[in-house]
Formats: sequence, structure tokens, C-alpha cells
Amino acid sequence: MAVYKRGYEPYEGELTPEWSRFLVIARQAYRRVFESRLLVSYLVLCLICPVACALIIYLPHNEGALQMVSVGDLITIEPGFFLKYMHLQGWLGFILTAFIGPGLISADLANNALPLYFSRPFTRTEYVAGKMSVLAILLSFITWIPGLLLFAFQSYLAGPKWFWDNLHVAYALFVGFWVWIILLSLLALAMSAWVKWKLAAGILILAIFFVVAGIGSVLNEVLDTRMGSLINVVQVIDTIWSSMLGLASRSGISPANAWMSLAAACALCLHLLSRKVRAYEVERS
Amino acid sequence: MKTSLPWKLWARQVMAILRIELAKNFKRKRAIPVYVLAFLPFLLWQTHSLVHIRGWRTCSGSEDLMVYAGVFQVFVLRLAIFFSAVAIFMNLFRGKIVEKTLHYYFLAPVRREVLVVGKYLSGVAMMVIVFGAGTALSYLTAVNHLKLTASRAVVPAAMADLPVYVGVTALACLGYGAVFLVTGLLFRNPIVPAVAILSWESIIVFLPAVLKKFSVIFYLESLCPVKVPFHGPGLLFTITAEPTPAYLSVPGLILLTLALLALAALRIRKMEISYGTE
Repeated sequence: MAVYKRGYEPYEGELTPEWSRFLVIARQAYRRVFESRLLVSYLVLCLICPVACALIIYLPHNEGALQMVSVGDLITIEPGFFLKYMHLQGWLGFILTAFIGPGLISADLANNALPLYFSRPFTRTEYVAGKMSVLAILLSFITWIPGLLLFAFQSYLAGPKWFWDNLHVAYALFVGFWVWIILLSLLALAMSAWVKWKLAAGILILAIFFVVAGIGSVLNEVLDTRMGSLINVVQVIDTIWSSMLGLASRSGISPANAWMSLAAACALCLHLLSRKVRAYEVERS
Repeated sequence: MKTSLPWKLWARQVMAILRIELAKNFKRKRAIPVYVLAFLPFLLWQTHSLVHIRGWRTCSGSEDLMVYAGVFQVFVLRLAIFFSAVAIFMNLFRGKIVEKTLHYYFLAPVRREVLVVGKYLSGVAMMVIVFGAGTALSYLTAVNHLKLTASRAVVPAAMADLPVYVGVTALACLGYGAVFLVTGLLFRNPIVPAVAILSWESIIVFLPAVLKKFSVIFYLESLCPVKVPFHGPGLLFTITAEPTPAYLSVPGLILLTLALLALAALRIRKMEISYGTE
């Protein structure tokens, strides 16, 4: 039978529920991500710090260990301890983003694949959410999930009083890391959408963190101000995390200003994404 | 019969490649961030001078020169030139593979070593011109506005450091250029080597003197006219090393560059293009 004689037949199979359609993208992306042995090794490496932190938390509660070391040598488990944990895992998450993020959208754009996505019952928001979920799920496994497990472990060992006294630490771990995950994901997707060569996008993500931080420091030094810290992502996030944990930040900017700077960065990334993620592209000669 | 090597032909070919690549390097849109990074300190020092002229704040000569040295060593050398070198030199070959145009060069009757030298020189020329101008302009602005302050006596002595700053900038372009030319040929994904080199160059302040010598930044900082003390949470762990004198640093960096170029030439001789795998 000739192909042109076939009438149109709509798909009659089972439809993916609307709420979870964005996860289809994540599922397909993970297939490629986990093909890389380097990435899998890196993910395992990212879990070394939580394991080490669990040991540090456990030591003061182990009689044998207490006999070997004096109490003064042990690290006190307080909000400052969790801030250090957040900094370390935050950096590891950033490097993971620089590995995975650049290839998420650039390949679709380079191969004109976006019309294929948007010709299906799939919105632009779902597309971006799907691409973000690739990073968000992986980053969650190395940031707030082990962080909350550490908090639960310490609460179990130290008792309910410690839990109620430090409940804000759990909030900081959860909300603070989600803020970081959203920022990293949006930044990576925006760079991936604007720079079609994924290697260049990776370098650009690194450069944005290091060079923009450097520009902020130069602004502070040359113009004798603290406003330069507002474009330094690391100082902005440190201010937000410190304020959540009830600690003083050394960045010299207020938490309100840090939140505004963060909101501006996210809005800029969303704007860049909305300009590029379209079912069509206008070529101007 | 002994035949001499065709040096004149190779020189002409290098010049031809240099001309083509230089025009491309300067005109491409991707060069805009490089220009921004090179001239940003100049713009900021202009603003600083304006603030002083308007009388909104006063300046101290020694303090400003120390701030300039800090900005130069931390921002210009470690970040601006480093990332610009990553962008320019990794693009020389890897970028052409992604654009699927490298085979045009390989099909031309040019030795591949000549191609490496031509492309490398085009990158170096662009970076030295852009960053040399940026450094000179920013330093002139930083020093000249001191004539309007009580520290005007330091100006003549400070002006003598201008060629040193420009020279260090040129050496940085030379050194980092060679490093990233080789990494662009050796690695498909430049993120891993870029992160590794950036980390190495950042932690050398904590490393023993022997290991410091295996970094580009150590030689560059040794040549800088003003030493910037390290501040930060790791201050206790810093290890100071005797700066290498200029008569060792400069030839050392040039030798390192030549060695890396030789490595790049060896690598490109065996290079096979497979656009499909990129």
C-alpha cells in the first residue's frame, strides 16, 4: 500500500499525565548523563563530604572516640558547621552544573529540534521545567537531601532539644539549597540557550562565576564601595545562607539587597531563556 | 646533496595565516567579552579619577598604586587574561572542528607545524594588543590622576613601572596562550583542564616553593613591580617563596611556551578530523 493512501490516525495509546510531562525530558537526559563514567565518579565524589560530616557528627557521641581525643578537639555541631557544609556542597554542585548544564538546550537549538517539542502537547514552561529538573534532581542528591539527613542524624544523637533549638538550620538547608539550585539551573539553561557550542557555554558558566566575582571585587576596591559584592554570586548566596542560619556574613551587603540581586539575576536568566526557547527562529540577514 | 629548510616559505605562510586569523579574531562577535575584560579596569579607573576630581573622595598615592597592583595581579592576570586565553586559544583548533572548517586548512599545502605557529601568533598578537592597550591605559589613568593629589611626588617613579606592567601582560598572554593551545588540542572538553589549571594557579600560594615553579602565575607575579600581600581565610597556610629574578622568569616562561608549542606541533601531526564525534 502506498504511504499517501494512509489516512490520518490519531495516537490512541496511553497519555502521560499532564503534570508529569516535563519529567520525560529528564528521563531521556539521564540516559546520556549516566553514560559518562567521569560524571558518575564525580557524583560519588560529591557524597564523600556528607559521609565525612556524618562521622564528625557521630564522634562526640561515641565513647571510644571520646577516650582517644579530648572534647576540645571535636568540632561543635552548630549552624556554622552546616554553613561550611553548604559552601562545600554548593561548589561541588556548581562544578556539576558546569559539566551537565551547557548541553541541555544548545543541542536542541543547534539541530532545530524545538519545533519537534512544541508540536506536541508540551508548553515552553514545561520544556524549561523539564530541562531544569535534570539539574535540580541531580543537585538535590548532593545538596539538601544529604544535608537534611545530616540534620536528622544530629537531631537523633543530640536529642529533641537540639532539634527544636536548631530547626532553622533544616529550613536553611532546604530553602537555601533550593535557591542555589534554581539559580544554577537558570544560569546554565540561559547560557546553553545563547551559546550553541556547549563547550563555550561551559566556559562561560565558569567565567560568569569567577570573572563577575572578580569584577565585583575590582568595583569595591577601585570605587571604594561595597556595591560590587551585589554582582558577586558567591557573596550574595553566602549572605542569604548566613542570614537563614542566623550568622553574620562577611560580604558587607544586607540580606535584603542580596535577595534583590538574586531575584534580578534569575529574572535576567528567565528573560534570556524566553527570547531563545521558541518553536521558531527569525533569521535576520 | 644537502638541502636547506624552506624557512622563507614557512615565514610567508605564517604571515598569511596570521593575516587571515587576526582579521577573524578581531571582528568576531565572540571577541566582545575579551574587549570588555581588557578595558573594564580602564573604565573603572576613569570613574575613580572622576570621583576624585569632583571632590567626592580623596586619594592616597601609595594606596592607589597598591590597589592597582592588586587589581592587576588578581583580576587582569588571574581572571581576565586567563579566561580570554581559554576563549581565544581553545577556539583556534577546537572551534574550527565544531564549525567543521578545519579540513580547509589541512587540505592546503602548508605544514601543520606552520599552521600551529601561525594560529598561535594570531591569538598572541590579538591578546597582546588588546590587553597591552587596556593595561597601559588603566595604569596611565591610575597614575596620572595622582598629579592632582598630595601624592604627586610618586608619579615619576610610578611611571617607570608602566613598561613592566605591559611586559608582564604580554608574557601572560604568551604563557596562557600556549597552555590553552595545547589543552585545546589534547582535550575534547575544555572545562576539565580549565578548572584544573584555574584551581592549580589559585592554590599555588599555599604550595611549597618547588611546586610554585610549575605555574605561570608564579613567574608573572615575580616580575610585578609591586608585591601584593595575600589576605583571606587561608592566610595562616600560605607559604612564601623567594620571587624568581627577571633574568630567569622571562626566559623560563619563553622556554615553557616553546616547549608547549612543540608539544602542540607533535599533537597536530597525528591529528585526524572526525566531525561526527564532536
